[in-house]
Amino acid sequence: MAPVIDRSISRRRVLQLMGGAAGVATLAACGGSGSSSSGGGLKVVGAGSQEAGLRKALDDFKKQNSDFDFNLSFSPADQLQTSLRAQLAAGNAPDMHAVYPGNGSAMSMVQLSKANLLADLSDQAWTKKIPSGFKGAYQQDSKTYIFSPGTSVLGAIYNKKAFASAGVEVPTTWSELLAVCEALKKKGIVPLALGAQTPWVTQLINYALVPGTVYAKQPDFDDKMAAGSATFAGSGWADAMTKYLELQKRGFFNDNPNGTTYEQATSMVGTGKAAMAVQVSAVLQAYRDAAPSPDDLGMFPLPATDTVAENWIPGGIVVGIAINAKTKKADQARKFIEYCGQPDTINSWAEAVACVPLYSDGEPKVDPVLKPFLPFLSADKAVPFMDQRWPNAEVQPTHFAVVQELLGGRTTVDGALKKMDEAYRKAT
Amino acid sequence: MTALTTPPLKSVRRDSVRPVKRRGSGIAPPWWFAAPALVVYALVMLYPSIVGAGSAFTDWAGVGEQRSFVGLENFRQLVHDDQALGALRNTLLLTIAIVVVQNGLGLLLALGVHTTIKSRMVLRVIFFAPVVVSPVMVSFLWKYVYNPAPDAGLNAVLNAVGLGALRQDWLGDPSLAIWSVAFTVIWQCAGYSMVIFLAGLEGVPQELHESAMVDGASTVARFRHITWPLLAPAVTINVMLSTVGGLTLFTQIIAMTNGGPGYATDTLSTVLYKQAFVYGKFGYSTAVALVLAIFVAAVSFIQIGYLRSRETAA
Repeated sequence: MAPVIDRSISRRRVLQLMGGAAGVATLAACGGSGSSSSGGGLKVVGAGSQEAGLRKALDDFKKQNSDFDFNLSFSPADQLQTSLRAQLAAGNAPDMHAVYPGNGSAMSMVQLSKANLLADLSDQAWTKKIPSGFKGAYQQDSKTYIFSPGTSVLGAIYNKKAFASAGVEVPTTWSELLAVCEALKKKGIVPLALGAQTPWVTQLINYALVPGTVYAKQPDFDDKMAAGSATFAGSGWADAMTKYLELQKRGFFNDNPNGTTYEQATSMVGTGKAAMAVQVSAVLQAYRDAAPSPDDLGMFPLPATDTVAENWIPGGIVVGIAINAKTKKADQARKFIEYCGQPDTINSWAEAVACVPLYSDGEPKVDPVLKPFLPFLSADKAVPFMDQRWPNAEVQPTHFAVVQELLGGRTTVDGALKKMDEAYRKAT
Repeated sequence: MTALTTPPLKSVRRDSVRPVKRRGSGIAPPWWFAAPALVVYALVMLYPSIVGAGSAFTDWAGVGEQRSFVGLENFRQLVHDDQALGALRNTLLLTIAIVVVQNGLGLLLALGVHTTIKSRMVLRVIFFAPVVVSPVMVSFLWKYVYNPAPDAGLNAVLNAVGLGALRQDWLGDPSLAIWSVAFTVIWQCAGYSMVIFLAGLEGVPQELHESAMVDGASTVARFRHITWPLLAPAVTINVMLSTVGGLTLFTQIIAMTNGGPGYATDTLSTVLYKQAFVYGKFGYSTAVALVLAIFVAAVSFIQIGYLRSRETAA
């Protein structure tokens, strides 16, 4: 009789092997978890960049209202799109949550209000004080759906010690910027830190340049785009992207920007390894945390052209909060938003996240670092962040991707802008 | 003196090694024993999948009630979508790399620790350890290893051993990023393949090897004619699991590159995720998901048919 061989894989044997190995290995894999929530009550999910201001407003409101309580958590920008949107789709969204102003993102005010997911705040007093130029960021069909404490500006965060060691001053024209970068490079300091592996960082240099290359010459560019009489290709966007690439070709970025993250770039500027990073003022605190002293850092508008008068700045309403249209705690949420709209709260929130307050009864309290930007805002030379007027949520991620492709040498400026035009023309 | 003759070594036939029936009576248990599990499966898996599949024929944005029936429009769009077609190519490349290298490495590791060396248990644990770590944690760990700075991570190691010329932008170079991700997946999952191969190896009777050794068979000949045919079920399981894992790879890509630089590491899974949650096109995303599910099922059926026939032939 032939010997019988059991050649099937024994389930017990596999489990024994896996279990034995897993038992030992799991010991090394155990870890803790943290949460930023603070008890029950009104459930609030905010944007990570707004944490300092939103947390302070909630804490202060709770001190004044003993029956008020909240449960607060935060998400980084990339996760807001997914976790919150999934909750909205499933009908279990928090009572109040972060929403991007204007349009152009799947979590933007226009997209969510169109789907009847946001509560109308138009009856609140503060909404009457929204400047006309910013109404598009807060309102859809003349109804206000979000609260945001004010305007964030975008420019170059720079390390003063690095500038001093290279003997350079803040530039006011594009040529001066190139000269400053050259001097820093000769000194062995990376002129511009760029963490382009983090998608949203890819857009910032273009956003800093197009106010000068596009909007200073064509203030109605967005209207022309919407009407179909203008395109990204052939506009000042091509000039901006060419300048973006010029910075790379001259070796002014850190090595391998596509493989570098936002956090790594932040650390480079904070420690003085790099001299500048083009960023929004809302993240100033992260840079200050990375620097030995917060006074080491300053900020200036990034000059896009050699004509000083044409160097406009980007200044957009920062990510805000809105009330879930289906919440059962609408009264509590509305009272809190009403409180946020008071001048003192707006000032305090804006100061905490380094932005310019939406409005102020007297002299606005502004982080001193932002002072170089104020003349542009008062002279109406500030342009909202470009995506806030894009018609769908596809243009912005396309912009992220084509910039990475440009930096990786996988496309040309014309090819990149063509893809953005294709995305722009897709249905809303 | 009688000459010792050795018959040629032949592959072990399946009919000679049929598994022992363990069930005493030989009577199958009533099918309704499975009913509770089937009900749960139907409620948690089948029903949502069927309802969700309906979205593939609409323009639903993923939030709100507004949606219109668009017929096959989403599928027509998919055929002309450069991003999806690029992602399909990336998915296939990743799958091939993972199936071949992960299983090859898993087999070598299994053969290595299926010996009498003293440290075999420790080595098994070490090789299996990455499997029990969360893929997100592994991805962040490797993101650190792949830091492009010359004085950090893998590049620093290359510098230290005098191989600085080999420094790379591991995740930032569009040509290299996909292979860097593949390596991470293989590093984590090779131990899983190893354990399955190991279980198969432990089912190979030592007597066969001893007889073959007496007959003068070399190590390679014994592997080819004894070990390899008897490992056929393990190969089937490993190839199936790694193929499905490769075709649906998502976590490591999102955590390490988010599909970038540009679209260089996008897979079908990341494309359907982005369409749903970033672009707000839930209907189109569901169409991509439906096509991916059918594609994975088709590949799996073809594969299992071939591998089972190979088992029978062995």
